[in-house]
Amino acid sequence: MTREIEKKLRDAVRELLEKGTIDRIVGYEAGSLKFSTTPLITSNKADVDRLVINPFTHSNLSVFLRDLCGKVGIVAKGCDARSIISLIQDRQIARKDVFVIGAPCGGVIDLAKVEKLTGLDRDEVDDIVWQGEKAAITFAGSTQKFSAKEVLADSCLGCDPSDFKECDMLIGEIEPIVGGKELGQDRIREMEAMAPAQRWEFWKKEFSRCIRCYGCRQVCPACFCDRCFVEETEPRWISPLPKWQDNLIFQVVRMMHVAGRCTNCGECERICPANIPLGSLTKKMEEIVDELFQYRAGTDKDAPPLMAAYQPDELEDLMR
Amino acid sequence: MKKIKKQSIPELLEKWQKEFAVFVPSKASGVSQMEVWDGQDTAFLNRNRNTAVPPKEKFLPGMEKMFGFRKEEGSYVVEPTDGEPPKQLLFGIHPCDARAIGIIDMVFKDAYDDKYYLSRRENTVLVGMACTSPYDSCFCTSLGFGPADAMDVDIMLIDIGDAFLIEEVTEKGRGILAGAKGVIEATEKDEKEAAAARESANAKVSRKIDTAEISRRLPLVFNDREFWEEVSAKCVSCGICTFLCPTCYCFDINDEMLQDGSGARYRNWDCCSFAIYTRMPAENPREEKWRRVRQKVYHKYLFYPELFNVIACTGCGRCIRQCPVNWDITQTLSNLPAGSPGKAEEKKKAS
Repeated sequence: MTREIEKKLRDAVRELLEKGTIDRIVGYEAGSLKFSTTPLITSNKADVDRLVINPFTHSNLSVFLRDLCGKVGIVAKGCDARSIISLIQDRQIARKDVFVIGAPCGGVIDLAKVEKLTGLDRDEVDDIVWQGEKAAITFAGSTQKFSAKEVLADSCLGCDPSDFKECDMLIGEIEPIVGGKELGQDRIREMEAMAPAQRWEFWKKEFSRCIRCYGCRQVCPACFCDRCFVEETEPRWISPLPKWQDNLIFQVVRMMHVAGRCTNCGECERICPANIPLGSLTKKMEEIVDELFQYRAGTDKDAPPLMAAYQPDELEDLMR
Repeated sequence: MKKIKKQSIPELLEKWQKEFAVFVPSKASGVSQMEVWDGQDTAFLNRNRNTAVPPKEKFLPGMEKMFGFRKEEGSYVVEPTDGEPPKQLLFGIHPCDARAIGIIDMVFKDAYDDKYYLSRRENTVLVGMACTSPYDSCFCTSLGFGPADAMDVDIMLIDIGDAFLIEEVTEKGRGILAGAKGVIEATEKDEKEAAAARESANAKVSRKIDTAEISRRLPLVFNDREFWEEVSAKCVSCGICTFLCPTCYCFDINDEMLQDGSGARYRNWDCCSFAIYTRMPAENPREEKWRRVRQKVYHKYLFYPELFNVIACTGCGRCIRQCPVNWDITQTLSNLPAGSPGKAEEKKKAS
């Protein structure tokens, strides 16, 4: 099945490059570790046969678009496709310069969840394959089946397939593996149930681990400032020292900056080396944006960008 | 050789705790790193894979106060930080991380003695533990040692089932074992088991690089812009690989000031992948990403060896497994173009 999709993708990309429809392709190839993929950015037709589509295509490749010149073909999952639209809305890239190849992913597998389920590290797990609606994980000499909810990234749960827009080409069928908006909300409901003081303690502990590697910012397509506010020195908005208070402020301000742009792709949380559950912040922010503005990031390339356009008569219930 | 039963280790740790702050590999904080032993946890005696945050953090903390200062009569008075750093014992560190400490020691006592680093270092005892389950990203055996070798530690433990075989490496190590309960003479069988464990650990490290070939090629490909642009294309310029690298030691210096002019000077980790690196004192000479990626590779595999005769990489694999995009230094090193011999000659002549 996957092979067939991959063949279709490779053939399509080869033709696009040959015809000059695109100058280069940004896709995924097999990574050097188990259950990993790595971005493949190439203009060379000979590299096309390395393209893959599988449940481990974690990266949101739209983060590379601003740096690439010429017409760029990009393999995009649903959330990535929304990021691309958001970048177009913000005039960071031009619609005509990008050729979007939609690759419905059925959700990416969250290897941190797999590690919790198996009690092993990812390199000690033997195999992970989809069998119908279950993920069959082989480890420690036997195979166990888990539901999609148990293994998919939280950001994929309740992913809305109707969001998949602006694709110039579609490889495969769009069908969500796990439907139902509420599925990805468990963690924020838990957090909402906490008393404010308890929640404060929770985030204090989480942000105490932050090492200020700025991985969250660097993998984020919505973080496209040429110079991040963290790097400003006149005035200096926050300290570059990794104190938990400054770490928290950095992330809160980053969240505000990406509100209406963040598509909840889950990359910031996945790559965080300190395991800070940033997805809880992005998910809550997505809800607030929806509630206040009835706005969903990256679903209409012609809509004015939420935080960069202001109407005099719009509601003023922003500060609360 | 001596040995100690695993069940006797907690008592030994308690004894050491009277003199040292004892750190062990732990996930209690939410990320695996060296943490103060809680007196209960013994999981690391049976399963001890490399911590996500390397133990270098105990010598070069992510944030360290250097001194305080205050304004007085139109000038500044410096207030040194109080006294010596506490005595610490790191239990269960792996050969790659211990070797890394040995490697960065060189730079901290090179042009000048870095008292912050060195005083922590002098007050530390390293109890190594052979690594019996290397990750698929590990490649230490290509860097001149194996996952069970006793290097740069004070004592070394090798897992032989229900006990550890003990190698006493330094006087310091012998000292901390003196009078320890449960330390007994090892038998010939124990030593054989340790040798087998060492061999099996070595065999588990499957990732390889050819350092001789790398040393030959690197001087030839510095100006191969096309190659470096290609390999750096997917790098996102975050600080993960360097911050979590046990041999990366760059730091930045920042002051925190109050309105009355008093404050403190700190140092914190810095990273050559950042576009803003060294922009405060001057300019970043490596504005483009490919130059920064190249710098990281050259610093570890060419510049450091030129200065200190050792590669500044111990193959711990953190930069590979923690990288957001799986940028793999072993692939870059293995794919270095052969370069042209002519260029090598030119370089030789020029020097």
